Amino acid sequence: MSEYAPMQAEIADIDIESPNTYLITLKLLEESTDFRYLPGQFVMISVFGLGECPISIASSPTRRSLQLCIRRAGKVTNAIMDCLVGDVVGIRGPYGNGFPLHRMMRDVVIAGGGSGFATLRSLINYISDRREMFGKVAIAYGARTSQDLYFMQEYKSWQRAGMEVAVTVDIGDELWKGNVGLVTGLIDRFDLNPGSAAICGPPVMINAVARKLMERGFHLSDIYVSMERHMKCGVGKCEHCAIGPYHTCQDGPVFSYDQVREVL
Amino acid sequence: MKAFLERDRLIPFLDALSRQIEVIAPLATEAGAVYSTWQGQSLDLGSNPLFPPTEFLLPHKETLFRYIQESGRYTFKEDSIPPRMLFAIRPCDLHAIALLDRIFGSEPSDQAYFRRRRATSLVVLNCTNRGDECFCACLGAGPEAQDPCDLQLTDIGDGYLCQAETPAGILILQAASDLLQPALLEHDQKKARLVQLVRDAMPRDRSCHQIRQAIEIADWEALGQECLGCGGCSFVCPVCHCFNILDLGVPDGERLRCRDSCILSGFSRLTGGANPRRTAGQRLKHWYLDKFEDLPKIIGLPGCVGCGRCHLVCPAPIDRSDLRVLGNGKLENREAKI
Amino acid sequence: MVRATWDEALSLAAARLQGIKKEFGPRSLGVLTSAKGTNEENYLLMKLARAALGTNNVDHVARLCHAPTVAALGSALGSGAMTGSISSLANSDAILIVGSNTTEQHPLAASYILHARSRGAKLIVADPRRTRLAELADIWLSPRPGTDVVWINALLNVIVERDLLDRQFIEKRTTGFEETAEAARAYTPGQAEQISGIAALDLARAAGFFGAADRAAIVYAMGVTQHAQGTDIVQALANLALATGNMGREGTGIYPLRGHQNVQGACDMGALPTVYCGYQSLSIPAVRAKFEDAWNASLPEEPGLTALEMLWAAETGRLKSLIIVGENPALSYPDSSRVLKALKGLEFLLACDIFPTETTALADIVLPAACFAEKEGTFTSTERRVQRIRKAVEPPGEAKAEWEWISELMRRLGHQADYPSPASIMAEIASLTPSYGGIGYDRLDAEGLQWPCPSIDHPGTSILHTDRFSQGRASLRPVFFIHPPEIADADYPFILNTGRSLYHFHTGTMTRRTSLLDREVPRPFVEINSEDARLMGIREGMRVRVETRRGSIDAEARLMDALPRGNLFLPIHFSEAPANALTAQAIDPLSKIAELKISAARLHKVIS
Repeated sequence: MSEYAPMQAEIADIDIESPNTYLITLKLLEESTDFRYLPGQFVMISVFGLGECPISIASSPTRRSLQLCIRRAGKVTNAIMDCLVGDVVGIRGPYGNGFPLHRMMRDVVIAGGGSGFATLRSLINYISDRREMFGKVAIAYGARTSQDLYFMQEYKSWQRAGMEVAVTVDIGDELWKGNVGLVTGLIDRFDLNPGSAAICGPPVMINAVARKLMERGFHLSDIYVSMERHMKCGVGKCEHCAIGPYHTCQDGPVFSYDQVREVL
Repeated sequence: MKAFLERDRLIPFLDALSRQIEVIAPLATEAGAVYSTWQGQSLDLGSNPLFPPTEFLLPHKETLFRYIQESGRYTFKEDSIPPRMLFAIRPCDLHAIALLDRIFGSEPSDQAYFRRRRATSLVVLNCTNRGDECFCACLGAGPEAQDPCDLQLTDIGDGYLCQAETPAGILILQAASDLLQPALLEHDQKKARLVQLVRDAMPRDRSCHQIRQAIEIADWEALGQECLGCGGCSFVCPVCHCFNILDLGVPDGERLRCRDSCILSGFSRLTGGANPRRTAGQRLKHWYLDKFEDLPKIIGLPGCVGCGRCHLVCPAPIDRSDLRVLGNGKLENREAKI
Repeated sequence: MVRATWDEALSLAAARLQGIKKEFGPRSLGVLTSAKGTNEENYLLMKLARAALGTNNVDHVARLCHAPTVAALGSALGSGAMTGSISSLANSDAILIVGSNTTEQHPLAASYILHARSRGAKLIVADPRRTRLAELADIWLSPRPGTDVVWINALLNVIVERDLLDRQFIEKRTTGFEETAEAARAYTPGQAEQISGIAALDLARAAGFFGAADRAAIVYAMGVTQHAQGTDIVQALANLALATGNMGREGTGIYPLRGHQNVQGACDMGALPTVYCGYQSLSIPAVRAKFEDAWNASLPEEPGLTALEMLWAAETGRLKSLIIVGENPALSYPDSSRVLKALKGLEFLLACDIFPTETTALADIVLPAACFAEKEGTFTSTERRVQRIRKAVEPPGEAKAEWEWISELMRRLGHQADYPSPASIMAEIASLTPSYGGIGYDRLDAEGLQWPCPSIDHPGTSILHTDRFSQGRASLRPVFFIHPPEIADADYPFILNTGRSLYHFHTGTMTRRTSLLDREVPRPFVEINSEDARLMGIREGMRVRVETRRGSIDAEARLMDALPRGNLFLPIHFSEAPANALTAQAIDPLSKIAELKISAARLHKVIS
């Protein structure tokens, strides 16, 4: 059967992260399937009759559940948001290279902007479960408003796992008692030794954070970026996600900053 | 294994083949040569059809699989691919197929492509004259076959020199033995002379390296202004293979693969609206870089076979075959830059 | 909607039509034919209306596009068609392109213009927006919407001043030059600058390029015709071409770019209220007699209503029935809420199309049509080239080519209609239409034939008016500026322009069902000048509401520097944001076309 024919998975649980974002837990129908993945990889999710789209895996392979963070954006994501527990979707993958964990086993800065933070959750939970393999870990996350912040119920457990967590919003409100401002502002307040970094968010934010980290002594080849591109096949054939000689779906989506600086 | 086929035996040869397998050949039509199923129609063996035979390996629209829904669960079905022969394809298009084999063969290999590929036999007609826009020799794609195929034919005047390259090719010649004569040394010599003449007629300034230099200095924004955004270049290019995947049908239906083009503005546009290749100039440059910079890094060979179709089909005056113009977007600057 | 057989549907249609004709008279019936249907189908439908139903209320969508061309060039040159072949443009030395976004709407015609440019030809582009072609032009003239008569007269003014005229041509082949030149004297570049906003210097330069060129051509489209002064503007352009002798030679002439694949043919076939095929006037008794004889029927004398007039008549109850083939007036006609009301008020509406549309949704009977690849027939292109279309696939389901059911309906209405094939219909057309006299399927190979082609040994005509005009001499006529029907005011401070996108065709019936085209432009948008947007706090992609005195629509904001301040631009393709819900129905008295390019509008953000 064509490699474009997906596996089928049932929606086992739905957590509402924000008004237009759900964290869904999937259970593969074929239980014997050995679905192994790395933080930073993604799947192509199918709604038959509508099509497919690429979604980063938001869960860590160290835990049992396979989770995806879905945000209303186009036809397919809208349809998934209208699904109920028990509905079946297709998934293909895991695709992509994932974060180069073996090169990150020292101090780590994790910076997320907006919906890009969902991609980083996999890495954060992995580090949390393999804490002793990594040095100091600092997480900086910014969303537009406090309503848009993801995974709030997990921040405490990350702190308990010995990771620094700093959160900010662009626009404050009466209920928000935390930071208002840019993610780079949060990084200013971290006590850091140059190490590795993982960034995911809008290009403007990626560049600003990378610049800030390089000022603090980080080497640009140690700064890892998860790139977003329009994707269709997920296997480096359709050419939609090409960046120069690289295919974002295979050579990425994680690239080092020096590889993608020109195109950001 | 070699043999000689007299000129007036070509049609009986083709006729015998078409009884065994569907033969796709270049038919003579009012609109020029077109590759289509041969059922006795007149052939056009003098020109290279505008639409390449790679369309039969990468159709404009194909069904990857059908999905059938029952109680919320899906089963999938694939259509079977009948065997076919691509007859009288040119060395440039054969080379394009070799490139596509490498592109679709890189891990994970594309099964949809290879199912068709494995079911397709290839009979090449070597070129004994040069088309106005051809520069295959500059890119190692002709004028005679540079890649494996089942059978090569060369028109040497009074007939065709036939060279079998694979067991399948040998079987074809053996099955047609009553139509064939032994190949002689003089046939080989004639072929060599004719092919050399074509090689001599090729331009000298269109190697991959020279084209890369022209890409470097071209005024892409000016060229982009003249681009009509039709995507014609990519649809007639035998190496272009970009595709889109879409579903048709609810609850049962097909997942289709359709040809796409990076020349179109929506090709790389993200759902949120951002577009890494926002201008026509950027997209045109990407199309060239992909063939002359990126593919060499990925598969070790440039993604162009020198067939000149992109130039023939382009309605705008973007002169793709003239490297000097590639280096100059506007007429006034032509003198200044060279 | 209830499923029926062809037999049931046609029987019912015949019965209803006959019933309404009997009760209310033939003038209560109307027919809108398809500019996308074949020549044969247009001819038959026109014949059905006149011979079987007894009405001259026949029209089609040219009323909203090139009716001013037919009127103005018809009277100025004797023929409303493009005077040269499209390929001729490649040989021009100067091309004036007015109100045509050619690279996006007629890319193949644009390719010839671009070839001329790469040969060194001068391009003068007149358009309020800085279109792609404007960016490639030697001069871009950006007039205030509705001021075209002024600046075109100013060009003539400069050409007269500098004596860039072709006096020989004027003397031997035209009439009306003196009055026209006299009238143009008032339109000095300075005056024109004040009214149109185009710098006097640019006007002078443009006139210089045009007048001094050996071969100059004028290309135009909707930006010229879709105005309440559309006919006058076309005449003004004709005046320019005639005064400079740019007619009847390779690389010269006037090139109205027609849009639908067979709108030229639909006009040629007489799907118009005042003429039969070949533009033969039904008001001339000898002509009417000829057709009565050929068709064996008595034919109505009074000219019929135009498309918009039919809808207004439907609104007041005077028109009781419409047959609409391959058109979607519910979305594409101006002032859509009035149009919908009118269509809903009809006693009987028969609609035929290839996909369900907003118009078929209102019909009493819907018939499925065969598209261009599913039937035999001919189309006539904008360069008068009659070409065959050939059946490549079978029509889906029960869909039929229109010529088949129109013949059948004619028979049920008691009129003889035995056509074994479209070729036989063309034979009849050729026998009645002098310019098509030599057209026959056996002569139409891959290249087709350009009319006039009066006899079977005639090779067709590439360039018109080479030695003489069919009416003897061409007529120049003075044209005077009239203020547009709506201008910006305190309540509605913007001028709304409407138009098209490269990737979509009309109301998107076909293109929004095609994945790659739909992906290119998936959602309705409104173009706003970047500075105007900044001052209003509108960002790219924001949802905004555009409102005129007729209605309002919501769309995504697109900020453009290429659009002048105070202007808005809406594409017509999106049923969820129908541009024609906003446009007025003010019309050009000469051609009855609507003012689609100028509406006073206002804009504000939509808070979601």
